[in-house]
Amino acid sequence: MNHRNAWTPWLFIGPAILLLLVFAVLPIFVSLVISFTDIDLVGLGNWDAIEFIGLENFINLFQDPLFRQSLYNSLVYVVIGVPLVIVCSLSIALLLNYATSKLFTIFRVVYYVPSVTNIVAIAVVWGFLYNQDVGLFNFVLDFFGVDPVPWLEHPFIAKLSLILLAVWKGLGINMLIYLAALQSIPNSYYEAANIDGANKLQKLRYITIPSLSYATFFVTVTTLIGWLQFFEEPFVMTGGGPLDGTMSMALFIYQEGFQYNEFGYAAAASLVLFVLIIVVTMIQFTFNKSEKN
Amino acid sequence: MKKSIGLVSLTGIALALTACSSNDSAGGSANNDTNADNTENDSGEDVTLTVWAMGEEGEALHSFGERFEEENPNIELDVQAIPWDNAHDNLLTAVASGEGPDVVQLGTTWVAEFSEAGAFLDLSDYTDDFDMIGNEDFFEGALDTTEVEDEILGVPWYVDTRVLFYRSDILAEHGFDSAPSNWEELKEIAHVLNDRGDGMYGFDIDQNDQLVPSIFAWQNGWEYDIDAGAENFADDSFREAMEYYHSFFDEELVQESEGVPIEQGFEEGTKPMFMSGPWMVNIINETTEGIDGDWGVTVLPGQEKNASAIGGSHLSVFAHTDHVEESLEFLSFMSEPDTQTAWFEETNALPARQSSWDNDVLAEDEKLAVFGDQLEEAVAPPVIPEWENVAQELLSSLERVNRGNAEVEEEMGNFQQNAERRLN
Repeated sequence: MNHRNAWTPWLFIGPAILLLLVFAVLPIFVSLVISFTDIDLVGLGNWDAIEFIGLENFINLFQDPLFRQSLYNSLVYVVIGVPLVIVCSLSIALLLNYATSKLFTIFRVVYYVPSVTNIVAIAVVWGFLYNQDVGLFNFVLDFFGVDPVPWLEHPFIAKLSLILLAVWKGLGINMLIYLAALQSIPNSYYEAANIDGANKLQKLRYITIPSLSYATFFVTVTTLIGWLQFFEEPFVMTGGGPLDGTMSMALFIYQEGFQYNEFGYAAAASLVLFVLIIVVTMIQFTFNKSEKN
Repeated sequence: MKKSIGLVSLTGIALALTACSSNDSAGGSANNDTNADNTENDSGEDVTLTVWAMGEEGEALHSFGERFEEENPNIELDVQAIPWDNAHDNLLTAVASGEGPDVVQLGTTWVAEFSEAGAFLDLSDYTDDFDMIGNEDFFEGALDTTEVEDEILGVPWYVDTRVLFYRSDILAEHGFDSAPSNWEELKEIAHVLNDRGDGMYGFDIDQNDQLVPSIFAWQNGWEYDIDAGAENFADDSFREAMEYYHSFFDEELVQESEGVPIEQGFEEGTKPMFMSGPWMVNIINETTEGIDGDWGVTVLPGQEKNASAIGGSHLSVFAHTDHVEESLEFLSFMSEPDTQTAWFEETNALPARQSSWDNDVLAEDEKLAVFGDQLEEAVAPPVIPEWENVAQELLSSLERVNRGNAEVEEEMGNFQQNAERRLN
């Protein structure tokens, strides 16, 4: 390789690395620094007013009942949301993979549409659906003699309502990943199983699901990160209420940082979220490795 | 769900910071020097004045601004309409970078928070040349929010205030010939109307409206003393008002859940009374049918006084502008009584200047006159940067009382502690 060619790979990845450095790596370091300061709106205009306050932001954070509530809510979102997304998107992918007729192609689109629909439009429609007094859901339930459900008016039920909405919205993209993985399973496995006389359930259990392990790992990691950063749904639907029951960590960061201008405090919270995500992802990678071995 | 808000918000702050470093010399302390230079440069040259206006005002100001350009041929207006949702973020970026417009529309509740960061020019140095600065023809409540400590940071542009909307036909049906004029009557009428049956309510309170608790407190004679800090919230008049607020929920006179949009409830008669601002007049006129002439507005019923909150917008001059003189010309033009009336005709925004209200257009409209009366008794929220946080804490506390069954007295004690923390 001559000297000139040594630069070629750098030219290819250079732009991407530069963008990543400026818009992802640098901000993380800046937020690391400002999380130890008391920067607010005054500090933003006049840097002399910024003071380093050590770990005070972090100490306050863990004493802040609202932050602890948001931490708890985020855990609930993850514990219920992640398995639900995986099970639902896998089942739908399996069903859609069953045949290739026109009808199945149409349903692929149907399940994917929510993923590309604007969240604000969704929020308006679902806001009406969930309305306790005039919403369609309670209207239908009423028809079967069920008492009205306080979809967005009860702290815990509101969490579930938002999970339901987010699962519905997030199904499409994960279903697509599973579909692609399903279609890359070699047909010869199934032919061999047929010769051995395996039934459908056995084929699913011993061929399909193990073959999808990489896709499952990918979906788990991305979904989990997504749920930890759960933001849009509570932001547009509930604003964190009722009684802070749907307040997620990301929404907490947004409110402190951009509504109350407590930039240092918000940066500290986002650092906690950042570390949490890194730790959880590392754990998943470790598990995945030990399973492979 | 997938959107990485953590990183996005970090990036926002980081960008703001990096933008700042590129323009260090213009930051903070250099204000006075640049101002001195500016006044020398204002010698009739052609100047383009950048104006940030929010929401519908931004749209309307595009064409309205031509009147100003006709009077001042050497000044060209560049009006940038900014959606209200982005306004706060855009102002933050402007403050951080020192790169902003010359004139900016500013919600009255944002004055304190941005003035602390030195975002706006102190107009008190220019009162000799421009008589609209601090002019007492403006509503007192509007002027209050332009002044922080000894500085004047803006000129009132338009105002709004909350009044009581009521269904006169339903009230008359139940033997009430006039709208309630004090707390007791409001409660009495609300009880009677609430007893009409299932799904019927006596009153309506928007639980997300930060102003409502304060309005009740002001009506009860409470006054916020900035020097007393969180001690203000220990005052009996404040605590009583919060009891009163809660009593509407406790006695189930208002709907606790989201329900239908208020204009629909008003039309159906399920919510025959509520508090809202001037924008609601148009909404009711445009979206409801068959209740024309069956509803009215009146000054909010109070206890000690019939207080309401005053809101609206000011026009402020950005601290880093190069065109101080021209900016003030524009502010002066926009605050002239005639311009204010014309602006009202264009946008329905209520004039901040009392003499504009003498104009026939405003004086002859019965409903508008009520707003005019209410404005005279309207109080401005305290002009302190932490007010929004404190008001939000108060709403959260009241929510815990209304929905979480916390005791008013105990929860208000907690609120006072939280407010103390926020205020420090």
